[in-house]
Amino acid sequence: MDYNKVTTILVVDDEYLIADILSFALEDEGFSVVTASNGRKGLDALDRVKPALIITDFMMPAMDGLEFATAVRALPSLLQVPIILISGAQAHIGMQRPDLFDAVLPKPFNIDAIIAEVRKLLHLA
Amino acid sequence: MEKLKRLQSGIEGLDALLKGGLVAGASYIIQGRPGSGKTILANQLGFHHANNGGRVLVATLLAESHDRLFQFLSTLSFFDSSKIGEEIQFVSAFDTLENEGLDEVVKLLRREISRRKATVLVVDGLLNARSKADSHIDTKKFISELQGHAAFAGCTVLFLTSSRLDDGSPEHTMVDGVIEIGEELFGTRSVRRIQLRKTRGSAALAGLHECEITDNGLVVYPRLESLYSHPSAPDSADMTRIGSGIASLDTILGGGLYSSSVSLVMGPSGIGKTTLGLKFLAESTVDSPGLHFGFYESPQRLRLKGDSLGIDIKGMEDSGALTIAWQPTTEGLLDGLGARLLSIVEENGIKRVFVDSLSGMTRVATNTARITDFLSALMNELRARGVTVLATWEMRDLLGSEVSAPNSDLSSIVDNLMLMRFAENDFELKRTLSVLKVRDSAYDPSRFEVVIQAQDVLLKKASRHEPSVPTE
Repeated sequence: MDYNKVTTILVVDDEYLIADILSFALEDEGFSVVTASNGRKGLDALDRVKPALIITDFMMPAMDGLEFATAVRALPSLLQVPIILISGAQAHIGMQRPDLFDAVLPKPFNIDAIIAEVRKLLHLA
Repeated sequence: MEKLKRLQSGIEGLDALLKGGLVAGASYIIQGRPGSGKTILANQLGFHHANNGGRVLVATLLAESHDRLFQFLSTLSFFDSSKIGEEIQFVSAFDTLENEGLDEVVKLLRREISRRKATVLVVDGLLNARSKADSHIDTKKFISELQGHAAFAGCTVLFLTSSRLDDGSPEHTMVDGVIEIGEELFGTRSVRRIQLRKTRGSAALAGLHECEITDNGLVVYPRLESLYSHPSAPDSADMTRIGSGIASLDTILGGGLYSSSVSLVMGPSGIGKTTLGLKFLAESTVDSPGLHFGFYESPQRLRLKGDSLGIDIKGMEDSGALTIAWQPTTEGLLDGLGARLLSIVEENGIKRVFVDSLSGMTRVATNTARITDFLSALMNELRARGVTVLATWEMRDLLGSEVSAPNSDLSSIVDNLMLMRFAENDFELKRTLSVLKVRDSAYDPSRFEVVIQAQDVLLKKASRHEPSVPTE
């Protein structure tokens, strides 16, 4: 994998283990990953990094995935950034909001499916 | 006297132990080794609470993922995925604990309680909080701050931990209640037990109580003698007599059995105790239904045996006059059996119970010292509910002239005591029955021959010429 510049992905999940597993897998694919343990912290991270794509969980403390995505979409600079929702129980809520989420993937997740979705949304071969 | 508001766990036996449920707004530690059922208990309570309009926040301080938890919980009947993310929120505070410390966890959870309007908070992994604490004072502070915020919001807190905290531990002194779940080996059998170690603001059934994990989650069986230390209803003291199913026995007993009474038939295997019991149950009707609570014969075998005595067991079952509850295995819990018997009696309005046998029932006891108390409470409860009980007790000696009561306390539990023996008379083996005790009634103390002929059971007074005790 050889990109002209490093592509950053923001992973927002309160479950440390899941954020970790996703980070390792995405880093193996050559992405740079920033993690945040809830939506509030995810928004804070957006002050520092400009991700090419965001992956978020739904059920999180402080600010959940729906609130987070709504807040992101309100930022003009991030209007075009694809957001992937990964959720077990709330997948159906995400599906009803194509304005917020570009893709909704189930939990427990399949890492290859997530990588494939990320590549598709970033128009990478 | 003020009574505190209760929060039902939805686990029937546990609510009974807690005399109505957890104290609402109080905090509890639930402790037990991994696999003991703490997580099941907390989630079962959570789903019950959510089903009754409550809101639940489950915060984990563990690395284990929530999806693995959901997969495992989905094998239990109370799990309802549509509640997750709505009435029940699962959040992880592991990352906050690791990177920012206990104070930040308290802040995070305090905000979540009010944001989610949670009325129950479950904190899973108190051990992790403890390992993060620099001293005991920090853990105490963590618990007291969290429960302070929760109590202010009217939220009940459950702290789950796999460490065995002792009674003097700082954690125990902070919380209102401590529930411990454990597992113990009896021979090769493993039995789960639950104990309320501390209950502030509430009476409770102390001591160890057996429990098990089924497809429906945790099932707790309070020790019957503590649950029914006083029968749930006053003894009916009903002096109505009902038929025993054998006319000649009714005559001997002075006019049948009292409707609220317990009769015990002792005798060796093959003497005809079950026959007596089936005749007793044959008197059951749709209005006064009967129950066969047996440990030996399967329902199929009972139906065959019934046929040979002219009793249409299948027909009686179909009409609702008779229920057969067979306990096929020797596995099981004593209090579970007692609870099952009482619940069938309750559900079906049972008026006659035949227990075949009490010795089979008490075989699963893990502590033989309790058997008398257990049976005494069970029989008192059945009597109080106006049930006529006939029970059997297996004796070892086939032809013994020695009659040893199973234990001296047992005869004080029962109202009527009958003894069945084989007697060798010349070259013939005969069945005999003697009445040893009848409470509050005159009875015929003679020894009778039991004759089973043409589907009928007759008690014949033994002839004068026969020896009064079996010969060698």
